[in-house]
Amino acid sequence: MPNRQTQDFDYDAAIKACAAGHRPALETLYRQEGPRLLGVAQRLLRDRAWAEDIVHDAFVKIWNQAGSFDAARGSGRGWLYSITRNLALNALRDTARETDVDDDTAAALDARHAIDAWQDTRDAFDWRASAGQIGPCLEQLEPVRRNCVLHAYVEGLSHSEIAQRLGAPLGTVKAWIKRSLQALKECLA
Amino acid sequence: MLGTLSAAQRRDVQARLTHDAALREAVARWEDRLLPLTNLSEPVEPSRSLWPRILRTLDASQAAARPAAPRAAGLWNSLNFWRSLAAGGLAAVLILGSSLALRPAATPGAPQYVVVLVAPQSQAPGWVVQAQAGQSAVQLVPIAATEVPPDRALEFWTKADGWAGPVSLGLIKPGEPVVIPLDKLPPLEPNQLFELTLEPKTGSPIGKPTGPIQFIGRAVKML
Repeated sequence: MPNRQTQDFDYDAAIKACAAGHRPALETLYRQEGPRLLGVAQRLLRDRAWAEDIVHDAFVKIWNQAGSFDAARGSGRGWLYSITRNLALNALRDTARETDVDDDTAAALDARHAIDAWQDTRDAFDWRASAGQIGPCLEQLEPVRRNCVLHAYVEGLSHSEIAQRLGAPLGTVKAWIKRSLQALKECLA
Repeated sequence: MLGTLSAAQRRDVQARLTHDAALREAVARWEDRLLPLTNLSEPVEPSRSLWPRILRTLDASQAAARPAAPRAAGLWNSLNFWRSLAAGGLAAVLILGSSLALRPAATPGAPQYVVVLVAPQSQAPGWVVQAQAGQSAVQLVPIAATEVPPDRALEFWTKADGWAGPVSLGLIKPGEPVVIPLDKLPPLEPNQLFELTLEPKTGSPIGKPTGPIQFIGRAVKML
């Protein structure tokens, strides 16, 4: 389980120690954040073994690129998630093109999407308890727009997958996400 | 950052990130803003074998880096290597050159670049890269069979003389010609290096080549 509360752990210092070649610092990061990183990767990829591959690649990358981490540009913890999510999203997008489904599966998925779309007019995520300081800002968004942002960020759905799921035009979904991000940015400023 | 882009768009943005500091900062700020949303995913306890596996990879790449680094750097900078490569590639360039000469003339004033990618050991040509200066794409054409182990992939890289390191141009399917957009990269330069390396299935985990060079060559201006 993740060890300490995130606010009690000095991510920046551990990353700098990795940059200096201090192998135990990487293990500390792994013990501290590995389970949460794996949780994020598994939610995106929906596959345990694949998610472990990504976390493996992420820690290799964290070790190799620790020297390029710049605390002035963003938080150390954010950097770990950025690396892991990018690897997972790249893997997801690179394989997405190859997964065409047959008609029966497509019909089943359509039915599933219709139910999901209906649910998406309400809250699709139990975000209130865990969203921290971004919570009040999410609260200001309409549920369907909030869901767009969360589908994208938490579940790794692409614009077109979200559009399909909501039964909304692609352009509309893009515009919703763009405006929602703008609203979040202003709210968090 | 949000993850809604397609594979090609993601690669574009990632290539831009290496050159564009303002974009990099904007992305980092967004990553921090959205970070609390990672709490929406329940933590998952990794299997016990994951950490030892990470250590093995680090040990292997460290062991490979030590003896291989001087050799790799030596190969990269060795005059003899480039001489022999030039000789090996020359035949292919001549053949290609003559076939190019038979084609309708290219846009006047826009030099065409050709790169013959050869295997580092045997000097056997395997791929040809063609590019029109002023056009933002290169064409990669196989001229021999390339064997890739099932759990590996071919990744395409380029590096001009002034760059800090190679930039990935994406994963390549063996035996298939492909057109690769370069629009987020500076214009092609004479002598610009291109190479294909063997990488994990999803590409190099560290954004620079980690596996052995399969084919390598430099851009030659065709006048």
